[in-house]
Amino acid sequence: MNPALQPANPQTSNPIQAANLVKFVALAILLGAIGLAYVFVKNQQFVLAEQIRKTERQIRDVQSRNEVLVAKVTELSSRPMLQKRVSEKFIAVVAITGDKIARLTPPATAVADGVMRTAFNSESAQ
Amino acid sequence: MRKAEKMRIVIACIAGALLFTIVSARLVHLHVSKHAEYSRIAAEKNTFRQVIPAKRGLILDRNGDKLAVNLPVHTVFADASHIKDAEALSELIARYLGLKQSEVSQKIGTGGKYLVLKRKVPDETVLKMQAEMSKRNLRGVYTKIDSIRAYPNNSMLGHVLGYLNHERKGVQGIERTMEKHLAGEDGFRYTERDRRGREIVLYRGQEQEAKHGKNIRLTIDMGLQAILEEEIDATYRDLKPHTVNAIMVDPKTGEILAMASRPCFDPNKPGSSDPETMKNRSIIDMVEPGSTFKIVVAAGALNEGKVDEKSSIFCENGRFFYAGRTLKDLHGHGHMNVHDILVKSSNIGCAKMALMMGGEKFHEYVRRFGFGERLGIDLPGEIPGLVHPPSRWDKLTITRMPMGHSVAVTPLQITMGMSVIANGGDLMAPQIVKSVESQDGAVERQQPKVVREVIPEKTAHFISNALSGVTQTGGTATFARVNGFNVAGKTGTAQKVSEKGGYAPGKYVVSFVGYMPAEDPRFVCLVMVDDAQISSGLNYGGLVAAPIFSRIAERSARHLDLVPTQPAIALQPDPITALFDAEEATR
Repeated sequence: MNPALQPANPQTSNPIQAANLVKFVALAILLGAIGLAYVFVKNQQFVLAEQIRKTERQIRDVQSRNEVLVAKVTELSSRPMLQKRVSEKFIAVVAITGDKIARLTPPATAVADGVMRTAFNSESAQ
Repeated sequence: MRKAEKMRIVIACIAGALLFTIVSARLVHLHVSKHAEYSRIAAEKNTFRQVIPAKRGLILDRNGDKLAVNLPVHTVFADASHIKDAEALSELIARYLGLKQSEVSQKIGTGGKYLVLKRKVPDETVLKMQAEMSKRNLRGVYTKIDSIRAYPNNSMLGHVLGYLNHERKGVQGIERTMEKHLAGEDGFRYTERDRRGREIVLYRGQEQEAKHGKNIRLTIDMGLQAILEEEIDATYRDLKPHTVNAIMVDPKTGEILAMASRPCFDPNKPGSSDPETMKNRSIIDMVEPGSTFKIVVAAGALNEGKVDEKSSIFCENGRFFYAGRTLKDLHGHGHMNVHDILVKSSNIGCAKMALMMGGEKFHEYVRRFGFGERLGIDLPGEIPGLVHPPSRWDKLTITRMPMGHSVAVTPLQITMGMSVIANGGDLMAPQIVKSVESQDGAVERQQPKVVREVIPEKTAHFISNALSGVTQTGGTATFARVNGFNVAGKTGTAQKVSEKGGYAPGKYVVSFVGYMPAEDPRFVCLVMVDDAQISSGLNYGGLVAAPIFSRIAERSARHLDLVPTQPAIALQPDPITALFDAEEATR
């Protein structure tokens, strides 16, 4: 009888084939690791997405607060508001005298008396 | 194995195979055949289209001052399915939003998913409210960001700026005509929500960014606008007229530097304004222009060679009988040249020049000056005025139209007509928008546009010289003078047309349209006062409108830093200001 066809003796032979077992275990670990990595990456994506959402909200809030402030600054520096503040004497307007005005091109003087007028504040010069 | 056993195994295998086949078939059916349907149902359940609102562009003046801005506000709404402690939440919401708690509870009690609690809630209120909700672990109330349009200068320039309706669409002024540039285009994003209603950013799908609106830079100079408005405000207060209009234009470019009408309205509160106050009367009111119209016939007659600078016209000593009616001058004059006819504002002299020209030719010049047509300003509602063709004139029209009767024009047309003389003969298209500026810095400039050459420069200069004489001693508008400058202009006094037909006795539309410095005009300014409550003896363009022009021009010269070219002279106080000063002193 061919020895290869003889049934193995449980006491002299190993029924577990180690090489195959290692292969299967390695494959299982690899698949497991891939699965875990997938879960980890997916989780990271959710965490980052949440951060993006929060950051976007913060940016929107800052922009909206900025717009509110810009609108307030515009309103406070508008002519009617400044006029009101002047009339309430919260701010004072000081006329600039003619000698304090620096000009890039010297103004032509009037023909008759050589006195600057229109842009020259005669009241404040007195 | 017995046959029966084998049979049972076969049956079991067939049953198992059949079962798996059925399950597989069902799976294939669900995943392949019903894919589109179930995907749609799933998408409807979780996916939503998030609108990314576009910011409306700002409106700026020529120097960059902000005239219309956006103020972020919130729409506060509740989703009743997310609310656990309705009592506590309604108390908190009612406190922050200034609502009655019972009202909030009632709304929440309806169980809806989108229950608007309040609109236009300021940003700071929302932030405080959300902080307390978070602290007390309350949920179910959310906000949607929105914005309202704010006009920081209140009623100033209100007619030009216009306002928005509740859908944030411009319904008047620049807001309406520039809507397509200002509005921008909302973007969108398809995304999914979790069971708490929060967006799952990871599942964002198709996305399109919002295209923000472009900024509109106007030709308006707010410095000049403030001067104009202060002066017409004072007139509206003191003389209590029906309306007051004032327009200031750069004659060389046609740019509108300032434009105002009284009564006016606050575009921040359009709902509480009387519709009558919302009309921009500078472009939608028709008036008989009176003597300011005389420049048309003088320019036409000179240009057609019917008269020249030295021609003498007999002014019939103040009474001209024509077509069965007598045309009168305020003061009788004998022979006068064209210069003097304009300076003295002779009705008879102008009527005779029109007769020399003939109806067809005179009508042609009226149209060439821009009367009877829309000038194409970027503001809604501009009317063309009313200029009948000669075929519809009666025998008197040719003698009445040269002095500004039997014709209806808008204040803007008068101003642009005077600009023709001021700039050397070209009719410019009125321009209110200087440029359209994108958020990325691209600027589309609007170029000045010459509509047509009306008269040659030589004729324009001759008329201009005559108009300078109008403000000199002996002219009809000495109160329009400004110290240090040569002012040219023309007064107008027209009896008001009655609603019942004919003219309303004792009611006048008085005006002055002039420019300065006459040698090299920087601006043309019209002041028109409709039915001032003042004695008829004082209700003339030279006494009412000319002094207002003088004050506006003097302050504008300071603002523009114009260089004086004339010697200083002692100016007399105008009679109307003197009248009010005297009244003030007696109080």
